[in-house]
Amino acid sequence: MAESPQKTVLVVDDEEDVRKFLSMALKEAGFNVVAAHDGFEALDQVKKQKPDLISLDLVMPKRSGVKFYRDLIKNKEWVKIPIIIVTGHARDDLGKADLKELTMSGPGIYLEKPIKPSNYVAAIKHILGMDTSVEEKEAAKKVELQSELKNLVDEVDTETLIKIKEMMRKK
Amino acid sequence: MPSGKTRQKRALPPWVQYELLQQVPFNVAIIDRDYNIIEANDNFTEYFGKWRGKKCYQVYKKLDRPCDRCNSGLTFEDGQARVSDEVGVDQHGRQAHYVVHIAPLKKNPDGPVDYVVEMSRDVTETKSWQQEYQILFDRVPCYITVIDNDFRIVRANEAFRERFGDVRGERCYEIYKRRKKKCPRCPAAKTFKDGKVHKSDQVGVSKTGARTNYIVTTSPLARGSEKIAHVIEISTDITETKKLEEEIIEAERLAAVGQTVAGLAHSIKNILMGLEGGKYIVSLGLQKEDKEVIGQGWEILERNFEKTTTLVKDFLSFAKGRLPQAKMVNPNDLVMEIINLYKVVAKKSGIDLRAELDPKVKKAPLDPDGIHTCLTNLVSNAIDACQMSEKKKCFVTIRTKDERDVLSFEVTDSGGGMDYEIKKKIFTTFFTTKGGQGTGLGLLTTRKIVQEHGGKIIVRTKEGEGARFKMEFPRKRLLALYGKEKHNTA
Repeated sequence: MAESPQKTVLVVDDEEDVRKFLSMALKEAGFNVVAAHDGFEALDQVKKQKPDLISLDLVMPKRSGVKFYRDLIKNKEWVKIPIIIVTGHARDDLGKADLKELTMSGPGIYLEKPIKPSNYVAAIKHILGMDTSVEEKEAAKKVELQSELKNLVDEVDTETLIKIKEMMRKK
Repeated sequence: MPSGKTRQKRALPPWVQYELLQQVPFNVAIIDRDYNIIEANDNFTEYFGKWRGKKCYQVYKKLDRPCDRCNSGLTFEDGQARVSDEVGVDQHGRQAHYVVHIAPLKKNPDGPVDYVVEMSRDVTETKSWQQEYQILFDRVPCYITVIDNDFRIVRANEAFRERFGDVRGERCYEIYKRRKKKCPRCPAAKTFKDGKVHKSDQVGVSKTGARTNYIVTTSPLARGSEKIAHVIEISTDITETKKLEEEIIEAERLAAVGQTVAGLAHSIKNILMGLEGGKYIVSLGLQKEDKEVIGQGWEILERNFEKTTTLVKDFLSFAKGRLPQAKMVNPNDLVMEIINLYKVVAKKSGIDLRAELDPKVKKAPLDPDGIHTCLTNLVSNAIDACQMSEKKKCFVTIRTKDERDVLSFEVTDSGGGMDYEIKKKIFTTFFTTKGGQGTGLGLLTTRKIVQEHGGKIIVRTKEGEGARFKMEFPRKRLLALYGKEKHNTA
């Protein structure tokens, strides 16, 4: 397969350290990285240059991740841009509702902080259908499964949960 | 009229005598020893009906024989005047309550009583008022006592008697509080002094030694004379309500603690993310032998170690639940301290920082360090909001107000404001919109300090327009805290 042109990832997070971290990890993996610190700046960056993927934080000042997403999908051109959510608030009041909204209607994959750079890159590569090493494939698969399971756990009843717990213990 | 006294019997013209009999505002009847009514005025006829040729007991009470304790009979015997309360039947057959003055009539002052004059007045309405009043007095679910100016109980209602027994003659403070002396700031004493109604919260002790809370209202019972001789004390037992209040405060505190624990996990997650990032970048730098990259990673690591320390400190101080050390301070002075602290920073950022202090504000028992922390937190948040907003001109105002017995501090900014989602979240968990800067504990700590003072904090904000944080301290609660404090250190 011919070498595909460099892909651009837009990293959106209000914390500078997190932006640095994620940007470096992606650059190392050969991506072109653009960063934004809130939903407004993110929208500006998308207008300037349409990214191949958006790494999105949820809880940000000025404009949250969810609000940015709602703005984004208004534009037909941008609706198809894949999104991966990276948040520290998956299970608390600050992010739970937003995450549910996003995973039900849009991006299904999310990562919960703190994250390992290898998992992050693998997941992104997987979403973009890029060549990945065996380890990366494994890591990406794991991340995907974990996301799916976490979503299912929220919806399944107590009896089933107990069964699952037993099953996991036995291994 | 005293009998046996020699009196000049002046003769008035008969027509004057007649008019006098008619005009006197009583029902007047004159009877002889055989109970015959020999003369009566028109008032009497109107009230009791026809009387000529009838006996008094027939007319007054529609009976067919004399009353058992006939007062007039007694007067015929001993010549003494009398007053008595009677129940009879009026001319329409309705029950009538009347007060009758009975006087002997003697032709000869040293002789026997020739006739008795009965002068009666209707008190039926008064009687029914009296009954109503009695029902009210007894059945009202409060403790009502009437005390004299020595604080001795002279009357008590049924509710009081049921609870405390028949303790007339004992002092109110002995019964309510088992005290030997008058209570400080006694509302009854104030009423005795100024004749006005007074109200106060009081804490008493029951027979079993249990704490009881009352709201007491004292009202003067002036009986025409200038000096207040008696006061009515009306007490409502609010012990249950107070207990519930305290339980709510405790529950709120526990809820805050619970949220804090959840918030703690979140803060640590943040820090871990930072450490993960720093670690990755450092190892990348080592791999590439790039000093700059190593440096960047190391910086991140340092910052996050710093955050950990701050978090631990903030959290420990937050978790301490103590009563504020209250001192009498001037709230306006506290505000000026904060202004001085922040005026340089504000100026540098082009923010207009000012104070609007209410000159009517009086000293209050506050924990100066605690309030200082709260104001610092609110002002620093306000300044941050301004810095983060895109507005050219931004202002932060601190106001003090003292109205309707509530002392309040207000911090208003014209920064970005908060949308509904953020407003919901600011007091829960460690929320911060300051990127990596704040630990998020600021508002939680502020609210805790405000609650410890018995106050509350209210937020009003509109996205794009700024925010107002108002801390309200009811003075009654501040005093209660101060009192507790003094009591503990006394």
